[in-house]
Amino acid sequence: MNNILRKEMKLSASVLSYLFIPFGLMFLIPNYPVLCGAFFVTLGIFQSFQNTRETNDIVFSALLPIAKKDIVKGKYLFVCVIEGAAALIMTAAVIIRMTILEKAEIYINNTLMNANFFAIACAFVIFGLFNAIFVGGFFRTAYKTGVPFVIYTVSVFPAIFVAESIRHIPGLEGVNAFGTDKIILQILLLICGIAVFLILTLTSLKFACKNFEKIDL
Amino acid sequence: MIAEIKGICKKYPSFELKDVSFGLEKGRIAGFIGRNGAGKTTTVKAMLNLIHTDGGSVEFFGLPLKENEKEIKIRTGYSSGTVSWYPRKKIKDIADTVKRFYDTWDEEAYRRYTQLFELDENKTPTELSEGMKVKLNLALALSHKAEILILDEPTSGLDPFSRNELLETFRELKNDGAAVFFSTHIISDIEKCADDIIYISKGRIAAATAKEDFIKKYSAEGESIEDTLLRLEGGAGNE
Repeated sequence: MNNILRKEMKLSASVLSYLFIPFGLMFLIPNYPVLCGAFFVTLGIFQSFQNTRETNDIVFSALLPIAKKDIVKGKYLFVCVIEGAAALIMTAAVIIRMTILEKAEIYINNTLMNANFFAIACAFVIFGLFNAIFVGGFFRTAYKTGVPFVIYTVSVFPAIFVAESIRHIPGLEGVNAFGTDKIILQILLLICGIAVFLILTLTSLKFACKNFEKIDL
Repeated sequence: MIAEIKGICKKYPSFELKDVSFGLEKGRIAGFIGRNGAGKTTTVKAMLNLIHTDGGSVEFFGLPLKENEKEIKIRTGYSSGTVSWYPRKKIKDIADTVKRFYDTWDEEAYRRYTQLFELDENKTPTELSEGMKVKLNLALALSHKAEILILDEPTSGLDPFSRNELLETFRELKNDGAAVFFSTHIISDIEKCADDIIYISKGRIAAATAKEDFIKKYSAEGESIEDTLLRLEGGAGNE
């Protein structure tokens, strides 16, 4: 799998996939829908799938001495590496906001969703949606990127709206905790977000392997 | 027999590959000839497990392709004259990635072929002519000690000098004991270097035999292989 990941990163990936990872730092922007940062990260990954099609990467990979399902696994692994790197940056940004900048007035008076562990959990859900809708959709044909990306985009913005609004529901104010307030709840929410990500990704991977197996290249 | 293709069938809305069968032997060059759209590329794709066939089987080294794909692909090489991989990546990066998939990769052979084909490793495929792209694909395919080379139109886009060099390379590979299978629509390539002729017409194998037997069976006296194939294809077209 190391060789396949290396091929993904060296030959198939668009440089934009790497350049868009720092969009995780949008978690530092006050009064801004921080989850758009997660969307931009996926937009960067989308460029690699465009590259995949333009460089004949799928057929090239199918000619290598690897199983067909390993091609799919390689793509998912690459996507998860980029998403994981972005999640680390988001986590760093959240920790900075929780600690060094805990007393920064601009964050205390933040009018939109706070960048906390719940926000990272939501970012994981967005990444899970991307993997399930876009990456899974791509492997239905192994060349169409437009339709799956449009479906993903149409789905992700309502999801961001829901994540931004949920704190206004009575009793759920805790999701917008600032600093280290309600830290246990925040950590539990993060674990839930990661669990949703894993379920969406692994389920999608399973179906993608099956769909890709049926395709004539 | 190093490879055996038995009764391959594949139906598309506007084209059908019907009961394609032939065998490839070690140390021989097989030319796969047919006009555009006759089914050459579909057959090659079936041999590489890139498409799902409706019937038939493909075996390499006595092993069924579907169950032994990984092992077979390590021992086979593929090159296409019609597709370019990673057009904007440096050749050295492509080669560096490819070689990691093959335990059998022969760096010395790779150096030899890049030198022979005058490939500049710092160039990208977009900077290469069509002929040089073919040579790049070939250098990659030849560098992992493939026992059989499957080449889809490798001579297309090559100038006569490069084509001659390439055909000479086929002969060298054959002498080293490899089997070479190449599809082409250029009949002179077959005349120059093929030991066996596999002729496909309208999705069916019309002939699969040694070149001498093909001449005995199908050619009129004094007729070249080119004239024979043109006559046969004309006849097929008038059916």
